[in-house]
Amino acid sequence: MTVLLRRGDELRLLVWVTLIAITGSVAVAATEAAGFAYSQLAIPVAFICVAVLLHVFLATRGIRGDQLLLPMAAVLTAIGLVLVQRLASSLLLQQLTWTLIAAGAFVGTILIPKDLTTLARFKWTWALLGVALLISPLLPVIGKTVNGARIWVGVGPANFEPWEAVKIMMVIFFAAYLEEYREVIARPRRIGPIPIPPAPYLLPIIVMWAIAMVVVIFERDLGASLLFLGIFLALLYLATGEAFYTLIGAVLVVVGGFVLYHTFGHVQVRVDTWLRPFAEDLRFDAGYQIVQGLFALGNGGLFGAGLGNGMPDRIPVVWSDFVFNAFAEETGFAGAIALLALYLLFVYRGMLIAVRAPTPFLQLLAGGLSFIVAFQTLVIVGGNARLIPLTGVTLPFVAYGGSSLVTNWMLVALLIRVSDITARTRGTP
Amino acid sequence: MEITFAVLLWGVRIAFLFLLYLFLIRAFGALTRSMRTESAAERSLGTLIVERSPARTPRVGERLALRASNTMGRDAGNDIPLPDEAASARHAKLEVRDGEWWIEDLGSTNGTLVNGVRIERPERVRNGDEIAIGRVALRLER
Repeated sequence: MTVLLRRGDELRLLVWVTLIAITGSVAVAATEAAGFAYSQLAIPVAFICVAVLLHVFLATRGIRGDQLLLPMAAVLTAIGLVLVQRLASSLLLQQLTWTLIAAGAFVGTILIPKDLTTLARFKWTWALLGVALLISPLLPVIGKTVNGARIWVGVGPANFEPWEAVKIMMVIFFAAYLEEYREVIARPRRIGPIPIPPAPYLLPIIVMWAIAMVVVIFERDLGASLLFLGIFLALLYLATGEAFYTLIGAVLVVVGGFVLYHTFGHVQVRVDTWLRPFAEDLRFDAGYQIVQGLFALGNGGLFGAGLGNGMPDRIPVVWSDFVFNAFAEETGFAGAIALLALYLLFVYRGMLIAVRAPTPFLQLLAGGLSFIVAFQTLVIVGGNARLIPLTGVTLPFVAYGGSSLVTNWMLVALLIRVSDITARTRGTP
Repeated sequence: MEITFAVLLWGVRIAFLFLLYLFLIRAFGALTRSMRTESAAERSLGTLIVERSPARTPRVGERLALRASNTMGRDAGNDIPLPDEAASARHAKLEVRDGEWWIEDLGSTNGTLVNGVRIERPERVRNGDEIAIGRVALRLER
């Protein structure tokens, strides 16, 4: 019994997650059926059982350190389930199944690597595996094209986006590589204020990045290439503290964006629908999705139309691309801010774990993983609100989609592992 | 009947938003609490106080801040370099395991002494214990 009490904060927070999952599901079900059946509660209750089992698992394994990430990930996943029930109820069981698989992946990530530092030792394996996975959708039989982007792999009945798993591998590879050579890369020769990085040491990173970029351009996935560049620059900055590298990155984005805009039709469409979605030729065509998304945001007002009461179904593919707008329409500005605050807290917690971690590899690993969540949220919410061009990254934990849910829960498990190691070396609970 | 249902439904919808904020407040509370214990632990990770040192560095009385794992030896690449001829290039390692300090000799020529006793296997070091490496003596203070 005392074993279970060690993670008390986590359990107490899970009580609130339970209430949120149940009220959300009840509100949606009652609005749709204009009545309420107890069977509707099966899905949220099943999910809560899984979350509590994960808590018990962590407690009995004697995992120390962070107690915030599990309830945070659970509340976001619960909101995701409520929104799938609201927006695409035929996919609800599928999403619950993916949640179970994600929980399994979480348990596996906590159990399997005996020592996280061994991950760093196999960095070249991760790099090769990552590139292989990235290329796999381009292969003839298993590759699949969905909505113009060739980023899916289908094996039997299951489809998944390998890119989702690749981003974690990239973080592991970059972190391990930069730990080994950070001394050399962090102290470049300078010509005036401009640092000249020692090329032989940076070369493998740039090659990795270039392969990823090329693949991503051929797979026509804008969001992935942006995220890739983001991870690369963020880790380079975290490892070296050299702001000039980030500046080079910004220039790369501008130049790359300009070239892509003039060479690829799909990039041009994205930029056009961003700049003038209401134009005569766009608003019922390529810009229709974003226009409906903006109407949903506006319709939300301060406190929203009430869960289940809005009209977010007017947005095409709302359950995967525009969940943020759907949530903002039905819970209003208040709900949207709460959701963003959840992500902020999650990322803040992750960065704290990174700062406290005992070795450079673990610091870079935790920093990179937290960065993924932050950047993805920023890019997709920014795209949904028409602050930046819309790209196809998922809203972490909330958007419908199995591969993304599974990898995000593995990401949480890795952060908890780093926090556990820190707590053990420092002797804190 | 229909009106009660509508009122109840709006109650549930508002409760959802309300609970979301309550969760945020609780989570923030849990975060600040854990930050307090963690930063307290950060300060008290430990220091080594130099008791005796024949060379100019480290000076006697100097306080060396400890990381979770520290290698010591004559080599400049060590976490705690001890430029003393009697010390081996990579002499010993002092690290935290499960909240306790442990010292391990890395196969040095002249050995590592804890409170004047040469260690054969990894040995636990307590607060105030004296570690001798070559002609350098260091005292652990948490």
